Amino acid sequence: MSTEDSKPGILQGTLDLMVLRTLATMGPQHGFGLAKRIQQISDGALALNQGTLYPALLRLDQRRWVKSKWGASEAGRRARFYEITAAGRRAMERESEDWARTVALMDRFVRLAPEE
Amino acid sequence: MWRRFRAMLRRARLDREFAEEVDFHLAMLEAEFRQRGMSAREARAAARREFGGVARIQEIHRERRGIAWLESCARDVRYALRGLRRSPGFTAAAVLPLALGIGANTAIFSLFHALLMRLLPVARPEELVNLYQTGGWIRGHSSYPLYQDIAARTDLFNGAVARTGVEKVRFRERPEARENFAMREFVSGNYFQVLGVRPALGRLFTADEDQVLGGHPLAVLSYDCWRNRYGGDPAELGATIVVDEKPLTVIGVAAPGFHGIQVERSTDVWEPVTMAEMPFQSPTTWWLQIVARARPEIPRKQLQAAVNVLMEQHLASNLPASFKAAFRKRVMEQRLEVRDAGIGVSMLREAFAKPLRVLMAAVGLVLLMACANVANLLLARGAARRKEIAMRFSLGASRARLVRQALTESFLLAAAGAALGTALGFWGTQAIVRFLPAQAGDPLSAGPDPAVLTFTLAISALSALLFGLVPALRSTAVDPAAGLRSESGGTAGISVLRRALVSAQVAFSVVLVAMAGLFAHSLFELRSVDLGFHDQNVVAFGLDFPRAWRGRDFRPAYKTLAERLRNVPGISSVSYGFPGPFLMGRASATLRVAGSERTAAGPANVATAEVAPGYFATIGTPLVMGREFDQHDTTGAPKVAVVNEAFVRAFLPGDRHPERHALSFKDGEPAWIVGVVRDVRQKGIQEAPEPAVYIPMGQQDLVRGGATMLLRTQLPVASLLPTLYREAAKVGTGWIRNLGTLRDHIDDSIFEQRLLAAIGGFFGVLALVLAAVGLYGVVAYSTAARTGEIGIRIALGAQRGGVVWLILRDALALVAAGLAIGLGGAIAAARAVGTLLFGINPLDPAAFITTALVLAAVGIGAALVPARRAAGLDPMRALRQE
Repeated sequence: MSTEDSKPGILQGTLDLMVLRTLATMGPQHGFGLAKRIQQISDGALALNQGTLYPALLRLDQRRWVKSKWGASEAGRRARFYEITAAGRRAMERESEDWARTVALMDRFVRLAPEE
Repeated sequence: MWRRFRAMLRRARLDREFAEEVDFHLAMLEAEFRQRGMSAREARAAARREFGGVARIQEIHRERRGIAWLESCARDVRYALRGLRRSPGFTAAAVLPLALGIGANTAIFSLFHALLMRLLPVARPEELVNLYQTGGWIRGHSSYPLYQDIAARTDLFNGAVARTGVEKVRFRERPEARENFAMREFVSGNYFQVLGVRPALGRLFTADEDQVLGGHPLAVLSYDCWRNRYGGDPAELGATIVVDEKPLTVIGVAAPGFHGIQVERSTDVWEPVTMAEMPFQSPTTWWLQIVARARPEIPRKQLQAAVNVLMEQHLASNLPASFKAAFRKRVMEQRLEVRDAGIGVSMLREAFAKPLRVLMAAVGLVLLMACANVANLLLARGAARRKEIAMRFSLGASRARLVRQALTESFLLAAAGAALGTALGFWGTQAIVRFLPAQAGDPLSAGPDPAVLTFTLAISALSALLFGLVPALRSTAVDPAAGLRSESGGTAGISVLRRALVSAQVAFSVVLVAMAGLFAHSLFELRSVDLGFHDQNVVAFGLDFPRAWRGRDFRPAYKTLAERLRNVPGISSVSYGFPGPFLMGRASATLRVAGSERTAAGPANVATAEVAPGYFATIGTPLVMGREFDQHDTTGAPKVAVVNEAFVRAFLPGDRHPERHALSFKDGEPAWIVGVVRDVRQKGIQEAPEPAVYIPMGQQDLVRGGATMLLRTQLPVASLLPTLYREAAKVGTGWIRNLGTLRDHIDDSIFEQRLLAAIGGFFGVLALVLAAVGLYGVVAYSTAARTGEIGIRIALGAQRGGVVWLILRDALALVAAGLAIGLGGAIAAARAVGTLLFGINPLDPAAFITTALVLAAVGIGAALVPARRAAGLDPMRALRQE
């Protein structure tokens, strides 16, 4: 457990962007698939209780950025599949730009610090 | 209720779905861990760890679902409130007509519901039927022998009850208490049992407590009477009360909420029917109402057929042999109609149901107009807000979201309208009830009903959808790019929809104004009828005498009271008569007139009245010829009579000297005609006067009460009251009934027409105002949109008059379209209300032409302001603006 403490936590809002990005590239996914994919991409660097994905999905659903429907999983079980909407894609582009700007900005500050 | 139930179901479903989703996730994780070689138990634990607290996630999920909904609702409400506060003019223009519309509907509906819809608080009210006598000349009532025949038919009914009307009688809470009044109803012993009403205290009558005439001095109190007069004291059981001078023992209190079965009257105290001093054995005294519980398995048609047979047999075996053939024939025409009595019985319903239906339809129209008005305002504002909406679209708001927001605003407007409307409705109901004659009772005496509130909320919500949905869809149908580009924030011209709405408003108002015109004209005709007496400054009242006086001659009491009142300052003339001059009963007799061809073969029937000296002078009926009675016309003097003009026309046509004739009643000595008076409409305004003979009261053998005292005075009735009570007490009677001016009596007799004219007029004016506002809005808006075009016209030399005409033509086209549709509707409506009109044709040209002219005038008036503004346009400025 103690090792997980050093893994970065999740910034508010970034999980939303991760979910949107993942859905945009992979197409419809159920919650488990999404969690797995996000962990794969973060390469274990992310401390994510997979359950926390669901409140995020609900939030996105309420904003009509994703939509969901019931279908059959690969194993043939009933599962809920999430899919990004057009509004979701627009929001994703907007948030990605924001994020890039924030990162670039933070980057500058972070670099600045040791030189002082 | 339903919505909350649905929401609950929905919540349960969402919880279930989410649980399934989590289960699936855990199962997938578990399978993965198993593949890595964990044991089943280890795998399950690992899966749960990886997922995080399952219960907590579910909790968060559930909360978030609720909050999001609430939050967005709260946001919508705040946003809408802000918008409404920012434009108070818009808000007032939308809410006020809406409140009037909702209030009017609430007021009329609360009466409509009470009189025509509300079920009695008894067991299975839908089974109850009223056996209502029609045909012949009796309305509604039956004789006691007929009741017994009906009650015996257990094959048709599960019990039948008989009741009298609810009467205001003298009442003492205790034998030694001061006398006041209470509402008393006589009922058969099985009354409560058959209706399924339970006692709140003690017991109620049993089926055998109506067997002995005068032998059951028992009383059941209503719950309200017990609470209000005795403070709900249980010790009241077994106590003695005094009703109409009869001591009765209280045996019980009826269940709360039960006030008897007559809608407009609330009973305080019930007595067994055999305590009524009525001729129980007489098959020709019709005084009871019969309500029975029909056997549910018998179809109504079959029941009616069986009742028809029953009635025929009853009449055939009960008719006295003394009845003459013609009379017998009329009696045999009587029928018993099986009517629904689940909504109670009502005397008021007969006369008032139709006016109420008309009013319900009229206020429905008013609400529709108010809705059209709001829709129009919303459309106008939606057009002005295109830019804002386009902006919000491009910021990522969905259309559904914007529609919801617009609808929230509509619901807020409707809610404000409903709140204000409920208050107005309450006030309106009171105002309408004041139109009802005192003796008609109060249909709302049973108190407010939740059904009325439900109705108000339902029509408010429905209105919100009606006026809100189309503008909401319309205003959000914006192409974001185009919306943002457009400079003025609006489109040129005005939508067809808004024009249609204004034309619809005009059409509605045509119907309402035409109806108002018809009712007003009809009332005017009623008011112009010559009644044969002065209605102003004549006060009338009746007297009640103690029981001990029965059989005595009441003449000295009337005479003494009249003499005393004559000396009261402010009273210029006093007289009395039986029956009184206007709807105060009717008496008739058969007579022969010496020298009249009409009675040469046999006697004829005329209306009669016994009147005191000065009767005609007091009520202001002009003498056409001869004299009226004076104090010398007493038993010792030669017999005399006064007749009316209708009598002369009928019996002595063309005779210039009626005073040379004598008339004789059955076996009586001849009475000489000493005077002829103008016809008095004794049977009501709408009834033609009939031949009448007046006989001096002084020449009657016995006067048994029932006479009406008449005073000519300028004093208001209220200021007379103490004097009247004091003087009446001095002649031995403390009880005055039906006190009022003759004008009051006349008003009461035509209350339906007065009500229709008053309400019709009020809403006719409101409809005109709404139509004018709607027209003004549309014309002003389209004129503003055409500023550039008009500027060019003026610059090119168009005359001011031409410009004014340009705008006026536009408005008049809208009015013409509305008139065309509205007149069609108005004609249909006029046909439907034809029976409520007096003295005019339903297609009364005066009313219709006036309506058309008024609307044209309103149209021109509404358009003139923007038209003149347009004509005064400075072309240079207008063009620069463009």
